[in-house]
Amino acid sequence: MKKKILLAIALFISFYGINYAQEKTISGTITDNNAVPLPGATIKVIGKDIFAVTDFDGNFTLNNVVAGDVFEINFLGFQTLEVPITGQTTYQVQLQEDAGQLDEVIVVGYGTQRKRDLTGAISTIDSEEIEKTPTSNVMQSLQGKVSGVQIVSAGSPGDSPTVRIRGLGTFQNATSVLYVVDGTLYDNIDFLNTKDIKSVNVLKDASSSAIYGVRAANGVVIIETKSGKKNQKPVIEYDGYTGIQRAQNVMKMANAEQFTTMAFESGSAADAQFVMNAMQRYGRSRVNPNIPAVNTDWYKEVLREGIIQNHSIGVAGGGESVTYSIGTNYFTQEGILDMKNEYERFNIRSKVDIDISDRLRAGVNTVISNATKYVPENAAWFKAYFAVPIMPIIDPLNTEASPIRFANAQNLGYRGTQNPFTDLTYNDNKQKIRKILASIFFQYEIIPDKLDFKTTYSHNLSDFEERYVNLPYTLGNNFERISSIRRVDNTFSNQYWDNILTYDEEFGEHDLKLMAGASYRDEAANTFNATGQDITGISLESSWYLNFADPESFNNNVNEIGRRYYGISYFGRLEYSFMDRYLLYATMRADGSSKFTKDPWGYFPSVGLGWVVSDENFLKDNEFIDFLKFRASWGKLGNDNVAASDGSNTITVVTAAIDDEPRTGITSSSVFSNNTWEVIEEKNFGLNLELLDNDLSITADYYIRDTKDAILPVFIPIVNRSVNQNSGVIRNQGLELNVDYNHQVNEDFSFSIGANFTTLKNEAIEIDNESGYIDSGSAEFRQRTQEGGPLFAFYGYERTGVYQNQAQVDADPVAVENDLAPGDLIYRDQNGDGIIDDQDRIILGSFLPEYTFGGNIGFNYKFLDFSMNFYGQTGNKILNRKRGEIIFTQDTNMDADLAINRWHGEGTSNTYPSSAGLRKSWNQRLSNFWVEDGDFFRIQNIQVGYTIENDNLPTTRIYFTAERPFTFFDYNGFDPEVSDGVDRQTYPIPSVYTVGLNIKI
Amino acid sequence: MKRIKNLFLSVLSVFVLGVSFSCTDKLDSQEGQLNTSDLDYTDTEDMIQPLLGAYSEFTSRGWEEPLLLGVRGDDVNAGGEGDQQPFADTDRFVYSKDYWMYNSLWAVHYNDIVNMNAAILQIENFKQFADADGVALADQYIAEISVLRAWFHLNLAKVWGDVFIITSNQPLEEVQDGPQSKEAVLQWISDQMDIAIPNLPNLRPNERADIPGGVTAYTAYAIKALANQELENYQGVADAAGKIINSGRFSLYPDFYQLFKKPGELSDESLLEMQYSDFGSETGDAVYHLYAPFGPQNWTPARENASSGWGFYEPSLKFIKFMLDRNESVRLQTSVLFTDRGITELKDDGYTNLPGLVSNTTPSGDVINDYARALFASGKHYLPSNQLTDGRNDYGAGKNMIVIRYAEILLMYAEAITHGASANGISADEAVNMVRSRAGMSALIGVTTDQVLDEKFAELAMEWGIRYYDMIRLDKYNELSYDGRTFTAGDELLPYPQAQVDALPLQSNAELNAIRISNELMINQ
Repeated sequence: MKKKILLAIALFISFYGINYAQEKTISGTITDNNAVPLPGATIKVIGKDIFAVTDFDGNFTLNNVVAGDVFEINFLGFQTLEVPITGQTTYQVQLQEDAGQLDEVIVVGYGTQRKRDLTGAISTIDSEEIEKTPTSNVMQSLQGKVSGVQIVSAGSPGDSPTVRIRGLGTFQNATSVLYVVDGTLYDNIDFLNTKDIKSVNVLKDASSSAIYGVRAANGVVIIETKSGKKNQKPVIEYDGYTGIQRAQNVMKMANAEQFTTMAFESGSAADAQFVMNAMQRYGRSRVNPNIPAVNTDWYKEVLREGIIQNHSIGVAGGGESVTYSIGTNYFTQEGILDMKNEYERFNIRSKVDIDISDRLRAGVNTVISNATKYVPENAAWFKAYFAVPIMPIIDPLNTEASPIRFANAQNLGYRGTQNPFTDLTYNDNKQKIRKILASIFFQYEIIPDKLDFKTTYSHNLSDFEERYVNLPYTLGNNFERISSIRRVDNTFSNQYWDNILTYDEEFGEHDLKLMAGASYRDEAANTFNATGQDITGISLESSWYLNFADPESFNNNVNEIGRRYYGISYFGRLEYSFMDRYLLYATMRADGSSKFTKDPWGYFPSVGLGWVVSDENFLKDNEFIDFLKFRASWGKLGNDNVAASDGSNTITVVTAAIDDEPRTGITSSSVFSNNTWEVIEEKNFGLNLELLDNDLSITADYYIRDTKDAILPVFIPIVNRSVNQNSGVIRNQGLELNVDYNHQVNEDFSFSIGANFTTLKNEAIEIDNESGYIDSGSAEFRQRTQEGGPLFAFYGYERTGVYQNQAQVDADPVAVENDLAPGDLIYRDQNGDGIIDDQDRIILGSFLPEYTFGGNIGFNYKFLDFSMNFYGQTGNKILNRKRGEIIFTQDTNMDADLAINRWHGEGTSNTYPSSAGLRKSWNQRLSNFWVEDGDFFRIQNIQVGYTIENDNLPTTRIYFTAERPFTFFDYNGFDPEVSDGVDRQTYPIPSVYTVGLNIKI
Repeated sequence: MKRIKNLFLSVLSVFVLGVSFSCTDKLDSQEGQLNTSDLDYTDTEDMIQPLLGAYSEFTSRGWEEPLLLGVRGDDVNAGGEGDQQPFADTDRFVYSKDYWMYNSLWAVHYNDIVNMNAAILQIENFKQFADADGVALADQYIAEISVLRAWFHLNLAKVWGDVFIITSNQPLEEVQDGPQSKEAVLQWISDQMDIAIPNLPNLRPNERADIPGGVTAYTAYAIKALANQELENYQGVADAAGKIINSGRFSLYPDFYQLFKKPGELSDESLLEMQYSDFGSETGDAVYHLYAPFGPQNWTPARENASSGWGFYEPSLKFIKFMLDRNESVRLQTSVLFTDRGITELKDDGYTNLPGLVSNTTPSGDVINDYARALFASGKHYLPSNQLTDGRNDYGAGKNMIVIRYAEILLMYAEAITHGASANGISADEAVNMVRSRAGMSALIGVTTDQVLDEKFAELAMEWGIRYYDMIRLDKYNELSYDGRTFTAGDELLPYPQAQVDALPLQSNAELNAIRISNELMINQ
C-alpha cells in the first residue's frame, strides 16, 4: 500500500515537473443558474480517463487536458452539459435544472432507468409530498396522490394501512404489497421514518414489476432512502412536529329517550322491563319522567384526544470516496381510544458507501427500530355501539364490582355486561417490535462503464413480543374474571442474497443495457405462545410475567409454530433504445419456491415497448407538444403470498375429558387443495404528454389485469369449511389519469395544481365451480363471487320500500304468505314468480370503489408555501355489521339515524323497518337495508409553511398541518374507510393537527 | 492483476452456483407442519389417538345445537324473550331458513361426521400394520366411531328428514345425487349398528377400563332402537332395547336429582354421555360445554361468583302443570328451576296450593332470582354452584351431558310393546314401573301408549327434544298446539338452511313438486 502511494506521488511529481507543451491544467466552478455552487458534480473528459468531482464550493481541477477536449458535467437533477476546452484555463459553468422530470433517473428493480425511457406504469412521489402527512407509515402519505393505488387508513397508532394496487386480484393477503427499500425486500415498512425517504416509486404494471416475479403479484413499491453526496459538507437537519388527533364525524347513537321509545315499540315485554329496571335503579329523568335518568353517550366516553409527535435529526454528507447519511428518529402517537393505546418508535439508521478503489465499491445500510405498541381493545368500539344508553359508566350501587364499580347491564336484565370500560380498564396489550435490518453490498466494475457486478446480502431480523394482560375484576351479578397473561413471541429472520451482473453498451444510435442476476432467499418465522392464569401479584406491573402464573394453567396453553420457506430465482433484463425514440424493455424471471410443493418453479416474462413520438421529425418542431410518448407493455407475475396448499392433510392434537382425566387424541383435517401458482397477466397501454413548456404533464394508463388460477376460498359444504384453491379468473381493469400543472409566475410566486382519477372494474370472469359462484362471508352476511360480478360482492335482497299500512299488507300475497305487518321491508321479486325466496337475491355491491380521485393545489409566495390535497371515492358499499349484529342479539342500542328514521306509522319511513320489525327474521335477511354506500370526499391535507432565510440563522421552516380535517359521507358509521367493507369494530380514523419545525444547518 | 481478477470471478461464480444448487433441495422441504401421511402408523400403541380425537369432536357441541334440537317440544319454550327472535319463532313453528342456528346445527353436525370419517381412515392406516389383536382393536375403534357418526345422522334426519349420508372424508361425490330419504337414512343407521355391534365390547360404558364412558355394544343397540323408533318399526325397537334390558348390566341411578349433576356422571344408567371436565383444577385446560343458555339469567348462587346463564331454555307452563297434576315431586324439582315470578304465574293460573318443592331455592341452596326473559330455567342442565371446581365460575362448568340413558330405553321398549311389538324380556308394565318407582310414583298396570308417552314426558322432558320427536312421529299435533301455538303437518321439519341450499343439491322432492305445480298454475292462468 505504502509503495503504491509512493508511486502515485512520484508519478504526480513527474507529471507536474515535465510540462508537455500542449497539455495543461484547467480549473473552474460549477453552479446552478442562481450561482449556488454544486458540490459533488462529476466531470469526465470524453474519451479519456480523466475525472474530477467538485468540492464543497463547486470547484474542480482537470489535469493533462488539451485544447479541443470536451468535458461532460453530470449532476443529478440538472441537464448534462458538455463543455469544449479552449485556450482558457478557468471555466464558470452554470447547469440548467432538468426541464420536467423526464431526465430524472428512477430506481427500478435491480437497477435504475431514466424516466423518459420507461415503458411501464411507474408513479413517483418525492419526499416533499411524503413529508406533509404526519404518520408513522409512509404508505399513508400516498393516499389520494397516486392513481391506481387505494390506501385504506388504519386508525390505531402504529398499524399499517391497507394498500391495494390496481384492484383486487386475489384474496389471501391480497394487500401484501412488496416493498423494496434500497434493494432489500420487505412485507411491512412500519420501521421506516417518513423523513428518511427520498422517493417512493410505485411499480403498477406487470412489466415493471415482473423482475420481482413471485413477490410482485400485489404490486411493488420501491423506496429509496436519503443518502449523502460526494464532497458535500455535512448538512445537519432537524425536523419535528407535534400535534393532536381527534375523532371526526363521531357517530350519534340513540340517546336514552330514543332508545326507550325503540324498546317500548319493539313489542318485547322483556325490553320494556329492562327500561323499567333502569328507572328503578337510576331514577327517572327530570325532563321526561318516562325515561331513565341516565343518558350515556358511549362513543363520547370511549374517545379521547391523542398526541402525536415526531422528531428526526440527521446528518448527510460525503468526502472524496465516502458518502454517508446517518440519523435518528423518535415517533410517538397516542390512540384516540381512551385506554393505554399508543405507539412509540425509536430508530437509528446509517447508510455509508465507500469507494474502495476506482472499481470496487462497498456499502452498508442499517436500520435499528425499536417500537412499543399498546394495542387497542377493538371490542370496545363495538361495545360502545352495543351498550345501552340507559346505563352509566360507573354504578355506585354495584357494590360487588371491584376494583372499580363499573355498571353491569346484567343488573338491568340484559344478557351481557356491555360496559366497554371493563375492556378499556382491565386490559393491557403490549407489543414490542424490535427490528434490525442490515444489508451490505460489494460492487465491482469488471469493465469500466460497461460490465459491473454487484452482490448484496441483507438480513431482516424482527422480534415481535406480545403480552396481553387480563387484569382480574368482578362486576356484580356473579361476574368474575381471573387474571391471565398471554405471551406470544414471534421471530422473523429473512435473508436475501442477490447477485447482479449489468452490462452497458452504446454503439451509434443504439443503447443497450443487459442485466442478469440470481437471488436466494430464506424466510423463517417462529411463533411461540403461552397463556398462564391466576397471576400472583397481578396488581404490580413488575410481576406481569408467566413465572408468576399458576403452573397448572399452562396445560394445553403452550404452542409453537414454525415456518421456513426457501426461494431461488434467476432473472434477466434487456433495455434497448434506438435514437432515444424507440424503446424496448424485456425481463424474464424464473422463481423456485418451497411453498409450492406441486411445482416449485414458475416462469414470469414481460415485455414493454415505447415510442417517443415528440422526437420524430414531424413533431420535433412543434411548439405545442414538448414531449409525447406512447407505451405498451405486457407481463406475467406469480403470487406466492397465497397458500400453496390450504387446509392440508394435517394432524391436530386435542384433549378429550375421559372420566375426568385429560386424554390426548388427534384429529386430522382431510380437506386440502394442492394449488399451483396464481398467475397475473397484465396488459398496460399508456401515454406521457408534456405541454406548455413542460408545465403541464399528463399521464394516462389503461390496464387489463387478469389473475389466472386465482386462489379463492371455496366453501366445501358438508365439511363446512372454506379451502383456498385455484378457482377462476379475476379481471381488474381501469383507467388512470394524472394531470399536473406547475408554473413559475415570477421569482416570488409559483403554483401547482394536480389531479388524478382512477376507475376500477373488478370482475370474476370465470369461476371453476359447478355452481358458478363462490360464497364467502358468514352465512347470515353472505358475500358471493359470481361470474360477471365483483369479488366478494354483498349478496342479498333488494329492499324497495316498507309496508305502510295494513291495506298494503293485505293486498300483497307475499306479505300475507309471510305474515308481515306494516313496518316490514318490501323486497323486489327479481324473478317475478310471485314469491320472495332465495332466487330473488342479487349482487348488492362491492367494497371496492369504482372511482377514486385525488388532487392538490399549492403555491409558493416568497417565503410562504401552501398546499392542499383532497381525496374521494365512490361506488363502494359497506356492510353495516354493527347494525346487523342485532340478528344475534336484540339487547343492543342502535345509531340515532336508525332510531329516528325507523318506521313508526304510515309515511314515517320507506327505508327503515319498525322497531318490532328489526327483530323479525324477514327483515334480518341481508338486503340493501344493511348494505350502504361508502362514498366519501375528504380534504386530505392542508399545510402552510413559512421559511425564515436569515444569514444569522440556519434555514428554518415553520409549518402547520391539518391532516384529514374534513370528511363528507352519508354512511351510518364512524368512518367510511373500511378495508374489507364489513364494518363491525373499525377503529375510526382521526383528524390530525400539527405544528412543525425544520432546521437545516 | 488480470489473473487475480479472473481467479476472483471464477471463485465467486463457483461459490454462487454451489450455493444455488445446494439450495435447490430446500425447495422440497416443508418445515413446521405434521402431515397426515407423516404419522408413524406402525406404532399401533397410538391407534387409540384418533378414537380419542373422535370423542373430543363428539363432545365439542355448539351451544345452539341442543337448544335447537329441543326447543320445539311442548316441554320447553325458547325463553330469552326479546332476544334471538328467530329462535323464539322456531319455538312457535315459524321457520326462517336464513337463521344462523339452523345453518350452524347442520354445518357443525356434518363437519363432525367428516371428522369421524377421517378418524376411521386414520385407524385403518394403523390397522394395516397391526397384529391380530391390534386388528380386532382397530375394528372395535372403527365400530365406536361408526356409532357416534350414526348419532349425528340420526339428529339430522330427525330435524330435516331427507339428508345426506356421508361416509368419506371427501364428501363431494356423496352429495351429487341429492339427499337420501329419511327412511333410507334411518335404515342405514340401523344397518350400521348391526355391523358395529359384533366388534364392540359387551360392557356397560362405565365398565370400560380403556375409555370409561366410551361406546359399547349397548350404545349401538340404543342407537338402533332409536332409529327404528323413528322408522316406526316397533318390533325393531323392542328387539334392540330388549338386548340392553336383558343384558342385566344397566340400572336406574337411584338419585334422580343427582343423576344430572356431578355425582351422577357415568352412572350405571348411562348409555351415551358427553364428558366434560376441568380435571379438578382451578386453572388451565378445561373441556366444557357452554351451558349458560340453559341457565337462569339471575341468581344468587350458594358459592359466590358462580355465573348465571342466559335464560334461553324455559320449561313450559304446560309441562309444569302436567307434573303438578300428576303429583310429581322429584322429577319436577329436578327438571325445573323456579323463579318467584314463575311461581306467581302458576298461582294466577289456579295452582294456589303448591307443594314446598316449588321454590326459587334449589335443593342445593342456589336462589333463582326473577329475570325478565323467562319464568323458569332447565334443571337438568343445572349444576349446583357448590359442585363447581374452586375458581371455576362458568355456568355448569365441567358437567357432563347425558345423551342416552337407560330410562329412555325402558320407556322406548314399553312404548314399542304398546304399539304391538312382542316383548322379548320384561313386560311393558315392568319397564314403565321401574322408571316410575325411582321417581316415587306408584306402579301402573296394563300401560297404554298414552300412558307411556306421559311417562316419557315426565321422565325425559328437556332432554334432546325427545318429546317433540315423539309427538311428530305419532302426529300428536294437538299436543304441540299449546299456549297459542298451532302446529300443522308442514311444521314437522325445519327448512334446509339457505347457505346449504346455495352450496348443495338440496331441492327436496316436495319443493320440486311445489315449484312444478306453481309453474303449471301460472301457465294455466
